[in-house]
Amino acid sequence: MTTPRLTFDRVWKKFHRGAIHDSLRDLIPDLARRAMGRAPANAELQAGDFWAVRNLSFEVGPGQTLGIIGPNGSGKSTTLKILTRIMAPTRGHASVTGRLGALIEVSAGFHGDLTGRENVFLQGAIMGMRTSDITQRFDQIVEFSGIADAIDTPVKRYSSGMSARLGFSIAAHLEPDVLIIDEVLAVGDLQFQERAFGRLHTLAKSGIPVVLVSHQLDRVAQLCSEAILLNSGEAVCRGTADDAISAYVRQHEVTRAVSTSGVVTFDSVRVLEGETVQSGQRCAVLITGTVSDALTPNVDPLLVRVRSLRTGAEVYVTRSKRLGFDVKPGPLAVRVGLQANLPPGSYMIEVAARDMPGERDVSNGPAAVFQVVSANDFIGTVQLNGTMTAADGNGG
Amino acid sequence: MPAERRPTIFGDLREIASEVVSSRDLIHQLALRDIRVRYKQAVFGFGWAVLVPAAVVCAGLVVRFALAASSGRRFVSSELASMAVKSVPWGFFVGSISGATASLVSNMTLVTKVYFPREVLPLSSVLGQTFDSLIGGVLVMLLLPFIGVTPSIQLLWVPVLLSIIWLFVLATGLFLACANVFFRDVKYLVQVFLMFGIFVTPVILDAPAYGHRGSQWMMINPLAPPLEGLRMAIVEHRSLLVEAVAKTPATGPFVFWHPWFLLYSAAWAVGGLMLSAILFHRSERRFAEIV
Repeated sequence: MTTPRLTFDRVWKKFHRGAIHDSLRDLIPDLARRAMGRAPANAELQAGDFWAVRNLSFEVGPGQTLGIIGPNGSGKSTTLKILTRIMAPTRGHASVTGRLGALIEVSAGFHGDLTGRENVFLQGAIMGMRTSDITQRFDQIVEFSGIADAIDTPVKRYSSGMSARLGFSIAAHLEPDVLIIDEVLAVGDLQFQERAFGRLHTLAKSGIPVVLVSHQLDRVAQLCSEAILLNSGEAVCRGTADDAISAYVRQHEVTRAVSTSGVVTFDSVRVLEGETVQSGQRCAVLITGTVSDALTPNVDPLLVRVRSLRTGAEVYVTRSKRLGFDVKPGPLAVRVGLQANLPPGSYMIEVAARDMPGERDVSNGPAAVFQVVSANDFIGTVQLNGTMTAADGNGG
Repeated sequence: MPAERRPTIFGDLREIASEVVSSRDLIHQLALRDIRVRYKQAVFGFGWAVLVPAAVVCAGLVVRFALAASSGRRFVSSELASMAVKSVPWGFFVGSISGATASLVSNMTLVTKVYFPREVLPLSSVLGQTFDSLIGGVLVMLLLPFIGVTPSIQLLWVPVLLSIIWLFVLATGLFLACANVFFRDVKYLVQVFLMFGIFVTPVILDAPAYGHRGSQWMMINPLAPPLEGLRMAIVEHRSLLVEAVAKTPATGPFVFWHPWFLLYSAAWAVGGLMLSAILFHRSERRFAEIV
């Protein structure tokens, strides 16, 4: 048997803005033009066309997990549609070896008039499962979905969460050789999301090739070894998941920076002693680079920003002048200590030099991602290190 | 990078066949969906399966009574039998063609979001209709002895004729489903053709009723020979391998059936199926963008 693998080789995909000829009235002039040899070659852009995917290449083999991130309309879904053979590339070549499991639109085949049970068989068949396999895994699927009570009710009476959960459960029992996942992680309630993520995590870590598209950057950071950042159909950044995510989160910041004056050149940002931090504990970040002589008093050469990858929001910002740390022109090597009073999740550390009166970054550095884990799980936004001890009757 | 393979006719046909075989469970589930959905929340249930054939027979009775009255002859029960025998395949044709034509467009969400060989949609739509028509067919079989039709060795023609009709319907359905993705005009054209098709197909009247020239012209319609064949084999116990002669009060005797009519229809069915399958296969990767 050949190794399961997903390949994208210099793929281009052209789309047309506006309507395509739908009626004979538009078709006949077009056919006439074509017959006279006036129509340009198919693989070139014509009026109103644009490239949804431009010259994209990647290869995902066993043990690799590739994340694809980017803003809406950047070509992520088109890429997946080409991978799953829903669409053919305009130029280039895409191929999948092995049995493909696609966790995309997991309830697209549901019919409202059919019961949950009937829909499990229908949707399973649409996803490429044999009827005998579905029969065999039926009980597991229903149990995983957690809607056993409603399995003989028509799906039109389900809430949207229920049908999404049932759809996900079918897809999660595919046992594929290659896996493609698109935005299905936000299915159902929190409890189900955790269960779904756990299942995906098991699948992704089982060593099969995985391509994941998601806007939940913390999930990408947790699941993917590599990632590609797409913008207008082009891969603008590829590398480790952390690199691509940081490039994505800072995309708008970078475009806002009027000139990257090169006041500070950052070489590396590294979380010391592993990238996993216990909630409430201290961690250290090592930042290296060079500060040029062009440093002015208006510019703070070292600003540190911590972002939550789940929300993209800044959770903490500090800078050298605030902390009374003097940065001089020349080589830069700073150890930044932080106390991670944060709820569990993925966080990113960005560094920048910032023009304070102008309120803009003048230099940006690489970013590092770290995970916060908590042994004694808590709910909330800040780690308050709660403790409980027996007290005497008078309240202490 | 592997070189782009030039599609060949036999390569395509092999691909289509293997796709259909490997998606047999999906075809089964989709056909089952079509059947279930049709009868859920319908009080009359499976009774609807025989609605079209029954309506055709009723309309035919009116026409035939009128003809019998104006020509001064008596209505005979074998006339009812020939209409009943032909109305079920006609109902199958109408139902399958309209269902198959719409199959890709009405499953638009699936076509744009999930990959599977697209042939399965028109194919399962035709299969769902086949189930309905089987109910109608069984009813007609049970009915025939009561209107004076006895069995004969010529019943062996029935599977051959039904196969020709089935393949022809599938060929037409594949082609129209594909065409409807690109041009929604097809849907309206099909509706018109299905409404008026009964006038150029010997369903209510038998081919000899149209006279010598008329019956010959009618046989251009690939559906006409197998329908006439069904009547001749079941009701009249004729072998389809010999020419058949008819006589009407207005004309002298004339030949209205040649054995090669059947070959003509079979050629349409098999050739048409291959052509439309290849056409479908070669355009299916554009469906998701166009539909």
